[in-house]
Order: sequence, then C-alpha cells, then structure tokens
Amino acid sequence: MKLLKIGISGVRGIVGETITPELVMDFACAFGTWLGGGTVLLGRDTRPSGPMLQRAAAAALASTGCGVLDFGVCPTPILQKLVKPSRASGAIAVSAGHNGGEWNALAFVNRDGTFLNEFQGEAVLDSYHLERFRKAGLSRLGRVRTRACGAEGYFRDLAALLDTERISRAGFKIVVDPCNGAAAGLAAGFCERLGCGLIAVNDEPTGFFVHDPEPRPRNAGEVASLVRVGGADAGFLLSSDAGRVSAVAEDGETLSEEYTLPLVAGRWLEREPGPVVTNASTSRMIEDVAARFGAPVLKTRVGQSYVVQSLAGEAGSLGGEGSGGVAVRRFQPAFDGFLAMGLILEAMAVSGKMLSELVEAIPKYHIVKEKVYCPPSRVHSVVAETRRLFPDDEVTTLDGVRVERRNGWVHIRASATEPMIRVIAENADMKAAREEADRVVTFVSQLV
Amino acid sequence: MKGKLSLKVGISGVRGIIGDSLTPQLAGRFAAAFATYTGAGKIVVGRDARPSGEMLVNAVYAGLLAAGCGPVDIGICPIPSALLLTREMGARGGIVVTASHNPREWNGLKFLSARGLYLNPSEYEEFLDIYHQGDFSFVGATGHRTVTTEPEPARRHLARLLEALDADLVGAKAIKVAADCSNGAGAVLMPGFLEALGCRSTLINAEAGGAFARQSEPTPENLGQLCRSVRRAGAEVGFAQDADADRLAVVDESGRALGEDLTLALAVKYVLGKTPGPVVVNLSASQAIDDLARAAGVPVYRTKIGETNVVEEMLARRAVIGGEGNGGVIWPKVHPCRDSFAAAGLVLQFMAESGKPVSALRREIPFYVMVRDRIPGTQEDALRLLGSLRRAHGRETISTLDGLKMRFGDAWAHVRPSNTEPIIRIQVEAKTRRNAGVVLARLKREIAALP
Repeated sequence: MKLLKIGISGVRGIVGETITPELVMDFACAFGTWLGGGTVLLGRDTRPSGPMLQRAAAAALASTGCGVLDFGVCPTPILQKLVKPSRASGAIAVSAGHNGGEWNALAFVNRDGTFLNEFQGEAVLDSYHLERFRKAGLSRLGRVRTRACGAEGYFRDLAALLDTERISRAGFKIVVDPCNGAAAGLAAGFCERLGCGLIAVNDEPTGFFVHDPEPRPRNAGEVASLVRVGGADAGFLLSSDAGRVSAVAEDGETLSEEYTLPLVAGRWLEREPGPVVTNASTSRMIEDVAARFGAPVLKTRVGQSYVVQSLAGEAGSLGGEGSGGVAVRRFQPAFDGFLAMGLILEAMAVSGKMLSELVEAIPKYHIVKEKVYCPPSRVHSVVAETRRLFPDDEVTTLDGVRVERRNGWVHIRASATEPMIRVIAENADMKAAREEADRVVTFVSQLV
Repeated sequence: MKGKLSLKVGISGVRGIIGDSLTPQLAGRFAAAFATYTGAGKIVVGRDARPSGEMLVNAVYAGLLAAGCGPVDIGICPIPSALLLTREMGARGGIVVTASHNPREWNGLKFLSARGLYLNPSEYEEFLDIYHQGDFSFVGATGHRTVTTEPEPARRHLARLLEALDADLVGAKAIKVAADCSNGAGAVLMPGFLEALGCRSTLINAEAGGAFARQSEPTPENLGQLCRSVRRAGAEVGFAQDADADRLAVVDESGRALGEDLTLALAVKYVLGKTPGPVVVNLSASQAIDDLARAAGVPVYRTKIGETNVVEEMLARRAVIGGEGNGGVIWPKVHPCRDSFAAAGLVLQFMAESGKPVSALRREIPFYVMVRDRIPGTQEDALRLLGSLRRAHGRETISTLDGLKMRFGDAWAHVRPSNTEPIIRIQVEAKTRRNAGVVLARLKREIAALP
C-alpha cells in the first residue's frame, strides 16, 4: 500500500516511497506552469527530508520560468504572511504539519497568501496530469535566491494586532513546545514582543520529533509537567509547521486541541463579531461560544483550504478547525499557531482569568475520535454505506456523513492523509458519544 | 529532428538543451541513479559558469539527497580542481554540471568516480544500467543528509600544482603573462595561480559566470582579443582557457596564437627533458609527439578519442605526460586529468628554465601542419564509408581503433564519426600546408566517388 495523498492545495506522502524528487518536481512544475511566472516563495519545516524537497521544488520552479525566493526553515504562517509584501505570485510550504517524521508534503499558496482553493487546486492538478509543463528557455529561466526567514517583521505585525499592552502588563510565564519544528527558536522573539517569560522545550530546529508533531493531549506530557514545575500560566504545543496549536492550562491539564478555536473565539468575537467558519467535524463548543456574540457559524468540508476560502470569500471574522488551527481574516486567512497563542494570552489578560477558568466557561462536550483502516479503493463507498445506520436522522453529506443528534453529532469521513475512515462522535453525555462511535466503528469494521 | 537530437547520453555524460530536453526531472533522475550507483556518502557537485547551472544544481541536489548522499557544493569551479578534490576529500564521486564547449543554451552532467576521474566506459555502463532500470535506493525519513559548502574548492588543486612545479624558478623570472579565462570556471583560480608563480599578469574575461565573452573553444580564430592584449601589455606569453578550464591554448610574445596542438607538444618536450617516460596521446594528436618521444627514447601509446581513454591508458602505462591535440594536457604528477593550469605551469617553467621566448621554444618543436574538415553523415553512413576506405587502403592503414587512420608518405589522415554530432570528421597532418591540402582533397574526392 503506497501512501500518497493528493489534496486540493498540495500533495503529501512517505519520503523515499511516494515522495521522490521526481514527484516533487512534477508537482512544482505544474504549480509553476499554472502561475505562469513571477516569484515563488519557498519555506520548509525542519524534517531531514526538507532540503531534498526544497531543492527539487526550486529547480522545477526555475525551469518553468518562476523566480524562487528560498526562506529555508520557516513556519508556514510566517511564509504565507510574506507573500503579499514580496509581491510574489505564490508560495510552496514544504511541511507535513502534524504528520510523523516519515511524511513530507508540499502545500501550494496563492498570491493572496492562502492555500489554493478547490478551483485553483484543480487547475494545478490538471497541469500535473497533463504533464505538459512550461519550459523556460535559457533567457527566461528563473533565478534561485535565498533569504533569511526574518520573523521580526511578522512578530511586529502580530504584536500590532494583539492587545500587546494588556498582555505585557499581565506578565505571563508560558511553556512552548515547537517539537523541534519550523518554529524552533522563534518562541523567544514571540515572548519578547509580548513581555512573557518563556520556558521552551524541544526548541532546536533539528527535525527530531520527540513525539508526533501533532498538537493534542497525548503529545503534551512534557509541556504539562513543565507548566506544573515551572508555575507557568499556560503551555502550548505546536505542529511542525506552526500552523496548529493545543494548550495546557496552568493546573497542568492538557486541553484537547478542540479547545483552541473556542478559546480564541471567546476573545476575538468580542473584538470583531462576525461569522465563524469551521468544518463539519469540529466540536459544538464553537457554536455555543459564537452564540454568545450572536455570530453565525458556517460549515465547510474538512481542510484548511476550505475553511480559509470560505473565511475570505464570505467575509468571516474568524475561522478554524477542531485540529487546533485558527485564522483571523483581518490578520491573514491562514492557520497560524502564533496568532492562536497570542489571542489566548490576550483572552487571559483582558478577562483577568486563569486559562482553566476560561475553559470552565465553555460548555462541556465529550468527543470520541476513532479511526478504522480501510483500503483506499473502498474508503468513499464504505463512508457512504454508513448512511444506512441513520435512516431517520438529519444527515448532511458535505464531507462524508454527518448526523445531527439532540445533544451532539457524529461524523464519518475518509481521512485526507491516511487510508483510514475517521469516526468522530460528540455529545454532552460521555456515554452517548462513546456508544455512537462504537456503533459506527463496528459497522465499518464489518464492511471492510 | 531538433527535438530528437537535443539530448545526448553518451560516454562523456548527459547533454541537452535548456527549455527543451534537459529538464530538472531528467537531471534529478540521473543524480538519483548516480547516488544509487556510488552508495550513500559525500558527492562533490560543481558547475561551470553557465546561467542554467543554478537550476540544474538544485535538481542534482534533490536527486542525491533523496538517495542518502550528502552533496558538497563547490560552486563554479575548474574541472581539474573538482576532479582532484573528489579524490582528496574521499568523496564517493562527483557530478559536474557543464556542457564544456557546447553553445550557451546547452548544459549537461558529467560523472566522476571516487578516484577523481571521469567514469570509464565500464563504470559508465553499470551506472546507465541503474538509470534505465529506474530502481533507485531512496532513503526514508532518517537517511537524509544535508548540502554542505566547500568554501575554497580550488585550494587543494593549487597546492598540488605548486608542489609539482618549481615556483622559485618561475618566480625569479617575474614573467609577464596575459590570460583569457573566457569568463569561465578558470577565472576562480587563474589570478591566484599566476600570483603564486610570481607572474605579472594581465587578465581578460576573468569573471566566472559573466557573459560568454568569446566562443569558448580556444582555437586561434577565437583568440584575437588575447593576441591584442599580449601585444598591448608587452606580455611574454598569453594563455587562453576554455570554459571549464581543462584545455589551454598558448599565444607567443609577438601575439601570435600557436594553435592548440602545440600546447601538448610543449608540455611533452619539457616533461620528457626532465623525467623521461612513456607518453600517451589519442590517435589525432600530432606526429610531433612521436618525434619528441623518439628523441627522448621513450614509447608513445595511442588511444581512441576521449579523455577517459587517454587517462586510463596513462594509468596503465605509468605515463609521465599525455593528452589530446585540442590543448588538453594531462600531467599525472598533479592529477590524471586534462588541466589547463598544469599546462600553463609547464609552459612557464619551460620558459623560465630555458630562458627562451615562446616563439623560440615553438621553433624547436618539429613542424607539421594540421588541417581539419567534416562531412555530414550519421554513424551509419560513417560505418559504410569506413568499410570502403579500409578495403581500399589496407596497406596505408595505421590504426582502426577509432575510425580509420592512414599514412600517406609523410602525411597521415584520420577519418572518424563524431561522438556528439551527425558528422564525419577528417583530419590530415603533413610537413607542409600544400601537401596536407593535397591529401585532404584526394581523400574527399575518393569519399565523394563512393557509392
């Protein structure tokens, strides 16, 4: 079984198996052909395979006549923020985000600094399949230049968005774990801007992942113990591209990544009320928080591309997913871990509450996430079959099968990154969520 | 037709046209195949001054990294320096992005073994098999190395040159030199090299990576600018390098280009005078080499055309000097490869030791005239033609090692298919220009009359 996933805004796979220099070059050529020239920014996380992908992409882009500005190791949100001021025609982020070290990926970013939307992604994919790439002759060949990632400008912009004065006055102490990823070494600059004390862990850009680079409680053990031992006000765990974040409360409780969006919403909607965009698989907590501010919640398919496209296109105020990715339209339509950390700190500073108190104020739901192996050839038909389980319920098929329940919901969908079917059940009642998930898992297992 | 001929995969590597056949995908595949062939380790990566080198080098890095090799970036670097460095730093091999004297829109890859030599024909065959099989040894998440940079890649080469030459002897003469680096890779080392030998130098076209100032082939018709520089600066000698600095042409103190076959003759004469030993040259090199070797009482071995063939034979024969008539001098005391710096050093040392001007040294070389011509024809045409000529000239045949070499009195003629273009090359050497012309004309008439 070869693991290769082609999504609307990029391609991910296992390095040395499906991710080969040639595949990377073909995709980068397709992207460069679609852009038709101009300058393309390149950045990567710290995975040891990163330089291979980055060199392959640089050569391919140059061959299609695109100039390349290579920022080396650079968090994806910072790279995205650089697109507009650089007047670039696009960017490629080399990072598999939350996936393990054996993975790597290309994410394509358009001239607005957002992930390609589905129409743009399809155009690139058509070019990839057609294999008729633009070939620049000698005089039109793109140059490849390198630049330092330069987070200073980014942190200045972020500090200007946040209520930096109130955050500084609060004098927080925080723990940050960038998982030796793209944000390694940058938390210091973040904390300096916001007047926070810092305890950093896994803060070397080695690409050595001590735990999976996915921000969720099971990977937050180190952060939690440092929060307790160091007496910190909050702890944060970043994905390898710094796009997503999960938090740890001051009492050392590891918060589900589902809390990141509602925590941010509690502050941001107070400042800028407006529609919230999220996917169909995200906890109902966000709906309760949004209701407090009278903000509508718009649902999209799962994936940053869909969320940010809707955020930008439908004039949303805030977007995000239950995976810990949050975007504020006024800052940039891109999932941004630094932004999420900053707004959670702002929520604490402005309310004068501890993080655990902010969490307490959010209505509790119980969420159960399961995944079942399924051969890729059958994934979508099996997902569709699960409708049979819910003959009398309200079902939406925007992305897989989502069923609304009185105190919750259940969502069955094909994973975008693995040959798995994901089953997510949420309910105010723990037992109901568990039973709902188990029923679906049993059904799916029998089909597979 | 153009599309068909724009990619050449042969014994000297891969060559193609940018924007057409030579894509990053192709370069990446070849690099991955090479890394699979050498096994994981350091691979030296250099390039000539062509602007498309940057794109291709990135593609090569990607292929090497994917297969677990650690590329060592030596940037724009003379080919002999790259070869020597590959051996001395214990690399698994090397890749040089260059198309030597091909036009600007061309570029290519050349592959070096751990010995610091171009892959020989059997090594090349093994490597190409891996390429065609397409089963490359890609590494997983933990097998990746990074690209490192060698800041002074020509340093070791300069050190070896200065060990092999007598810098004090040359330096004492403070020779006035004009040098034309063709804005190629030679510009990286030429100023430092001449300074180390105490020369007073005038450099032209000495910006590595600058626009091609002239046709980089160092033949007399391309050396007008250097000849004028020699006269204007009152230089005692002029040197012209090709773009990757493996070949050298010499201009005398009156500003006259000697012809690139004289470079090898001067080097052979000087080296045999100091350390007599076997000489190896290709079939097309001047018979002046035979005369010089006979005078020194040493044997001459002739090989097929192609640097690899000459080098392999030199190593087998323990030759003290060798090379090609195109200005490619191979002096194993520095490194067994064509080296314009070794050639320039030998000429300078010859001048310093003899106290004679270049024109006088040239007069001491037995005089021959070489004329070259070409007729259109594919390899297949060439085979038919050579068959007919062999039947007709059994008695005149000297060698059938590479095409056909024949003797006509004091002249010889060599007919062979080109390795790179659909043409048949004809080369004639004789004592006088007139006789050379007569032999060439007769041969062409004979060829034209063939069915």
